[in-house]
Amino acid sequence: MSISDVLTVIQNSVVAHAISKSDHLVGAALQVVHVIGFILLLAALVLMSLRLLGVILKHQPVADVIADASRLLWIGLALAVVSGTLMFVSSPKLYFYKFAFELKMLLFVVAVLVQFTVFRKVAKAESPSPAFVRATVALSLVTWFGIGLAGRMIGFT
Amino acid sequence: MKYRMSSLLALAERIEQTSLGTAIAESSLAFPIIEGIHLIGLSVAVGLLFFTDLRLMGVLFKKIPLTDVLHQLRPWMLGGFIAIFISGGLLFLAEATVLVSSPAFAFKLVFLALAGINALYFEFVIARRPEVKENRAVLPSSVRYAGFASLTLWTLVIISGRLIPYLPAWS
Repeated sequence: MSISDVLTVIQNSVVAHAISKSDHLVGAALQVVHVIGFILLLAALVLMSLRLLGVILKHQPVADVIADASRLLWIGLALAVVSGTLMFVSSPKLYFYKFAFELKMLLFVVAVLVQFTVFRKVAKAESPSPAFVRATVALSLVTWFGIGLAGRMIGFT
Repeated sequence: MKYRMSSLLALAERIEQTSLGTAIAESSLAFPIIEGIHLIGLSVAVGLLFFTDLRLMGVLFKKIPLTDVLHQLRPWMLGGFIAIFISGGLLFLAEATVLVSSPAFAFKLVFLALAGINALYFEFVIARRPEVKENRAVLPSSVRYAGFASLTLWTLVIISGRLIPYLPAWS
């Protein structure tokens, strides 16, 4: 089965039909949820990054800041992934062959890997080296912001 | 009303025809990149503001003193707001006629104004009360209401902003 066949199967699925045949405001609602989820995720990430770099809330333990910000990060990620998946499923062939979409998905895989490996390590380390913290935070912010930019390009290419 | 709308549209047309307006509208890269900057600025400014609001409401960061959250996040939020206003202004130049005739954009401006009034009231009235300045354990309930109002109004700003391309123009 080729990728094109898989996309056709997805496009003909019950969920895909339900979304694409519904009112266009359902699609708009998915876009709204997607952007709100992404904003929560990025804000949580920026807050954690600023704390890890020692720029803000220096007198608070890193663990306290990370714990509360993580809750919002996961809520945001869940909202963005669920709404994004539904949008993709409704018209997979529209998205799959777009360069901006492919770039976004590639960056997404990298960002999630960074989050689960080095970022988590930095957040839990007793006293990580400043260079390691800076490199990790920079990598994480660049990939997640890149996802935002690539995502914005999808509708225009 | 009809006359006012048409003169507003005429003004919007002139704005779009400025060299900067047409340059952005005609570039296939500039428009989405500016929108991307608008989105990133939004996540820094409004996103960090959401955290502040949740702290005001007593939902998150309860262990961190309120004044620490307010003061230390402020410069980052202001930086984000500058990015949003500049990128938003450029986007307006490029599609002024569409935005002027969009009900979603009008609602966005109304919610934005209300959010601004709420922020000013918080800054100049609520935040100056001794209970807030001294980080007392029990804060006036107006603190929670202001946080909730800000969270709601900014969510409405984002929703109406994202709906601009999806809702039909004023008839």
